[in-house]
Amino acid sequence: MSMTDMGGRPGFADRLRDALPKLVLSPSVAIVAIFVYGFIFFTLYLSFTDSRILPSFGWVGWQNYENLFRIRAWDTAVTNLIIFGSLYIIICCALGLLLAILLDQKIRAEGFIRTIYLYPMALSFIVTGVAWKWFLDPGIGLEAVVQGWGWESFEFNWIKDGDMAIYTIVIAAVWQTSGFVMAMFLAGLRGIDSEMLKAAQIDGASTLALYRRIVIPQLRPAFMSAFVVLAHMAIKSYDLVIALTNGGPGTATEVPATFMYSYTFTRNQMGIGAASAVIMLMTIAAIIVPYLWSELREKK
Amino acid sequence: MARAVTPQRKIANTAIAWAIGFLIFFPILWTILTSFKTEAQAIASPPIFLNFDWTLENYAIVQERSDYMRFLWNSVIIAGGSTVLGIIIAVPAAWSMAFVPSKRTKDILLWMLSTKMLPAVGVLYPIYLLCIQLGVLDNRAALVVILMLINLPIIVWMLYTYFREIPVDILEAARMDGASLKEELLYILTPMAVPGIASTLLLNFILAWNEAFWTLNLTAVDAAPLTAFIASYSSPEGLFFAKLSAASTMAIAPILILGWFSQKQLVRGLTFGAVK
Repeated sequence: MSMTDMGGRPGFADRLRDALPKLVLSPSVAIVAIFVYGFIFFTLYLSFTDSRILPSFGWVGWQNYENLFRIRAWDTAVTNLIIFGSLYIIICCALGLLLAILLDQKIRAEGFIRTIYLYPMALSFIVTGVAWKWFLDPGIGLEAVVQGWGWESFEFNWIKDGDMAIYTIVIAAVWQTSGFVMAMFLAGLRGIDSEMLKAAQIDGASTLALYRRIVIPQLRPAFMSAFVVLAHMAIKSYDLVIALTNGGPGTATEVPATFMYSYTFTRNQMGIGAASAVIMLMTIAAIIVPYLWSELREKK
Repeated sequence: MARAVTPQRKIANTAIAWAIGFLIFFPILWTILTSFKTEAQAIASPPIFLNFDWTLENYAIVQERSDYMRFLWNSVIIAGGSTVLGIIIAVPAAWSMAFVPSKRTKDILLWMLSTKMLPAVGVLYPIYLLCIQLGVLDNRAALVVILMLINLPIIVWMLYTYFREIPVDILEAARMDGASLKEELLYILTPMAVPGIASTLLLNFILAWNEAFWTLNLTAVDAAPLTAFIASYSSPEGLFFAKLSAASTMAIAPILILGWFSQKQLVRGLTFGAVK
């Protein structure tokens, strides 16, 4: 549009300037469209076929989904995800908020401490999982250490206990992420209007009331973002479980992502694996679509 | 929100914050310390904190037995390659959306971003099957491309937010003064865009370095990076904690250093911009 209305034919440079933005945007859009959405549709399609070790295109309708929900390991995986996901989100938000409030008290060397809190998030969990495995192992970790100090009856063998092993994953995951949630809340705290707080303090509001009535309600957007980020991380969690328990003992800590992988590659049930992937996709979509929708509406 | 805090409270708060910091850092610190112990000292009960015989033998053994350098090199190539490739594709796209926005820009952006939240299992089959078809399982180039595809949305999005912070007025002024598109891009925009590009580069390098799902599932020997190296180490030698710690320390060392400089980018990127 730039020069056309000034008379004369637009030069090549002008036309280029007009077309270029769309031209250079298209590769990225095409890549995302094909390699994410195109491939997801392929997975969706596979989930309705009789694919086993290799894809096959015999249509079986909802068969894979019906079978999936009869498999006990899937049941375990879903239950685990619900336990893990809810504890993970609640504890991370609580700890993150407490840490953020702590760091907001004008403490010394705040930048340094913030970096330390964030470190676990920057490291690959495949690697830090090794350290956690060590700590949680009853033979050499915390249990052995406390017993070595003389408290002979001390027991901490969750990682070997089918009923408790999922909680060790919660512990390690909370360690990894709460510093990061802290950073989200800290940014929220810094954005709160201090005039309002001063006014409330002058009116004699106690610190507790200050936080409950003014600060925390204003952190609503931060809670929303934290929830979405944590929820999608919980559903996607894979390396965490692989590193720490590898789904064991037995299938006690199987989660949907590890279930999907093992059903496809060790049991050669691609159709069922695809069905489980589709369910995970739908769950995440159910969480992020409303969030993105509200984001979009706010900004327009 | 800043409030007045008494000096005593400040000292107490600082002490608590430091104690928690130590607690959080402890697993990492312990891994590093253990890597310098002998196997016997590594599992000594009660544990030895600092007064052990520092040794480098674990590092030598790990390198000798499993050729650590090869895994490291694979990690560097895969993480670096996918990041650079992603940036090359994403810079023009981000430029276009940031400086020549259309009505749909915001939608396209959110749509792209939403894909980063979807689980990798959703696209595992097509990519896996494609790799078999093309004969590129356990291939570094294939992983470079795959990790680029996976991280492209976040690269585009990060660059966009950084580019948006560049004042448009300067560009318009340059255009008024008769700068051509090439001059505008080269002399005005590029110098201002470099910090944002560097930040995006850093964040994405860390993400690609830590990426485990794809690297574990699509590599075996030749293209295996450090994530696969550690995963392979943790099962058969599970009881040799000093050596495992040495291997782990070597795998996280680059990120321990990079992470120090990139905490802001990390938060910004991983919160999808909820926190700047």
